[in-house]
Amino acid sequence: MTCDHPIEHLVTVRSSRRLNSQTTVLTLEAPLIAATAAPGQFVNLSCDHFLRRPIGIMAVLRHEGLVELGIRVVGDGTRELAQKRPGDQLSVLGPLGHGFRLEGLQRVITVGGGSGVFPLFFVQQVCRERGIDALAVCGYRSIDESILRDEYAGLGCQTLFAADAGDLDVAGHAADALKQLLCQLPPVPQTAVLTCGPRPMMQAVAALARDYQLPCQVSLEERMACGIGVCLVCACQVREADGATGYQRCCVDGPVFDAEVVVW
Amino acid sequence: MVTTAVQVGSLSLKNPVLAASGTFGFGREMAQYQDLSRLGGICSKGLTLRPRAGNPPPRVAETSCGMLNSVGLQNPGLDVFLRDELPFMRQQGCAVIVNVAGHSTDEYCEMCRRLDQTPVDAIELNLSCPNVREGCMLIGSDARQIESLIRQVKQETRKPVWAKLTPNVTSIGDMALAAQRGGADAIVLINTLLGLAIDYRTRRPILGNNTGGLSGPAIKPVALRMVAEVSQMVDLPLIGVGGIMNGQDAIEFLIAGASAIEIGTASLIRPTACTDILEEMTALAQADGVTDLAEYRGTLRLWGY
Ligand SMILES: Cc1cc2nc3c(=O)[nH]c(=O)nc-3n(C[C@H](O)[C@H](O)[C@H](O)COP(=O)(O)OP(=O)(O)OC[C@H]3O[C@@H](n4cnc5c(N)ncnc54)[C@H](O)[C@@H]3O)c2cc1C
Ligand SMILES: Cc1cc2nc3c(=O)[nH]c(=O)nc-3n(C[C@H](O)[C@H](O)[C@H](O)COP(=O)(O)O)c2cc1C
Ligand code: FES
Repeated sequence: MTCDHPIEHLVTVRSSRRLNSQTTVLTLEAPLIAATAAPGQFVNLSCDHFLRRPIGIMAVLRHEGLVELGIRVVGDGTRELAQKRPGDQLSVLGPLGHGFRLEGLQRVITVGGGSGVFPLFFVQQVCRERGIDALAVCGYRSIDESILRDEYAGLGCQTLFAADAGDLDVAGHAADALKQLLCQLPPVPQTAVLTCGPRPMMQAVAALARDYQLPCQVSLEERMACGIGVCLVCACQVREADGATGYQRCCVDGPVFDAEVVVW
Repeated sequence: MVTTAVQVGSLSLKNPVLAASGTFGFGREMAQYQDLSRLGGICSKGLTLRPRAGNPPPRVAETSCGMLNSVGLQNPGLDVFLRDELPFMRQQGCAVIVNVAGHSTDEYCEMCRRLDQTPVDAIELNLSCPNVREGCMLIGSDARQIESLIRQVKQETRKPVWAKLTPNVTSIGDMALAAQRGGADAIVLINTLLGLAIDYRTRRPILGNNTGGLSGPAIKPVALRMVAEVSQMVDLPLIGVGGIMNGQDAIEFLIAGASAIEIGTASLIRPTACTDILEEMTALAQADGVTDLAEYRGTLRLWGY
């Protein structure tokens, strides 16, 4: 039996674009990943440390075979990745995980907070390709820390930017902005809310979606090792079909889960 | 051509490379990325009689040259394994070794009795999981309990019984001798070393279970020393595990006295580690003019003094 399906790719950095002091967009030459990646999936990147680092896919340029990753520096591994230069090589596993499910949807509302706006950008990109009506809510601390605003606007989707500091469209969190949006929005069948960001924000977003009887998908984060489902270190607590709670693997059963099954 | 076939007691393996327990699942995910028939065998995730949910997250912490895990034997239980996973493993064309853990001697015995009726090639007794409170490492830290457990288990099954020992003991040699007296068919060295990772900002352990098991290159010297030490003391075949990342590491274990090796954490970094390491071993042997991997076994030349 042969089943060699390439999972590990040695890729070259095409470019690196600094968005602000904490965030960088890396563009990788990774045609095999670009060809098959779906929004919400991630890659597991090698760095100088022992374990790989999981990073969501922010966008793909399929024709050019490029994959974009948005990296927020929180520690040594992400700092090193953010310092990669054009021509540098790194080993990448991917695309990994179950992403967002867009099948059958007529309208998508993405709600991102902090670095959660990165993977949701890919959702918006695909909605545009497939002609799905899409709205984007992005939450930041302040206008200075805001990222990808021009890129989201450039996709032509309706956008609503929130900042705790009150210097963008809505003063407050992403969930506050979502509430404003939902109050005004005429109902469309097959609408779903897709969210990624800090856990308390996703919990608030899921509760709002529930109030408005909209299905909601959330992208969870857990510490990982393999990223491919074999080591069981990335356990997330979920409610199983029989009502009991149990652990599922964030890396292959997720990272995107229906909000209804998540045990917050 | 390099001959790769090895014997572990009565069990013939097409080559000495086994996937270690807990880092290869039941082979399903890994089969997407490599031809598992190229492996010597696969050790299943650690199984218990009844399903186990495992420990609360976080379950992994990175360390210098390795990682700590506190999975805590999350597994679907023996019944579900036999129904849903074993048939798949059996079809992969390599040896199937089932890693079992119990709370008590009775549980180990019952699992071995049930496995005796199944097409598994060997049973690896996990006497060494540091992440569960009962049984396991407690039994594996006491020579008398090791001996009596293995003696009882051997009455329940004709399958080869491998004793996987914990390094978290004062004298690994005493534990290995106890396993030999109990009637083990092989000894697997080593499981993870108990460790702690602290987040200095919060003054809390990083792992949800507080402590975890250290694996990866950080533990290779400990594992090699234990294999070399035990190989001088017992007559049983040894299987070396701990921090093997490449073909050279693997051959070092053979030199220390191992008949076969298991690859654990390396598979988490590189999904194709097992098959890659086998290729590296044969390439190194070829370059050394060694025609049979078994020639390396036990050739360590200690300094005399
Ligand atoms: C599915 C998934 C998608 C992600 N997508 C993105 C993204 O698009 N952009 C982005 O900037 N970040 C993303 N992250 C978070 C990113 O993986 C962590 O910020 C990164 O691993 C931190 O590494 P470090 O060495 O800088 O930090 P350290 O704190 O030094 O890392 C120490 C260890 O903890 C792990 N770790 C620390 N924080 C996290 C975390 N939040 N999640 C998982 N593991 C963590 C590291 O991987 C490493 O093993 C994602 C995480 C997951 C699980
Ligand atoms: C995530 C993880 C899970 C493990 N689960 C088991 C297990 O279920 N049973 C067992 O006997 N050993 C288990 N081990 C131990 C490994 O099989 C191996 O003995 C140990 O990790 C040392 O080898 P390594 O450095 O190559 O990983 C586990 C190790 C890791 C990293
Ligand atoms: S990270 Fe290994 S199973 Fe998810």
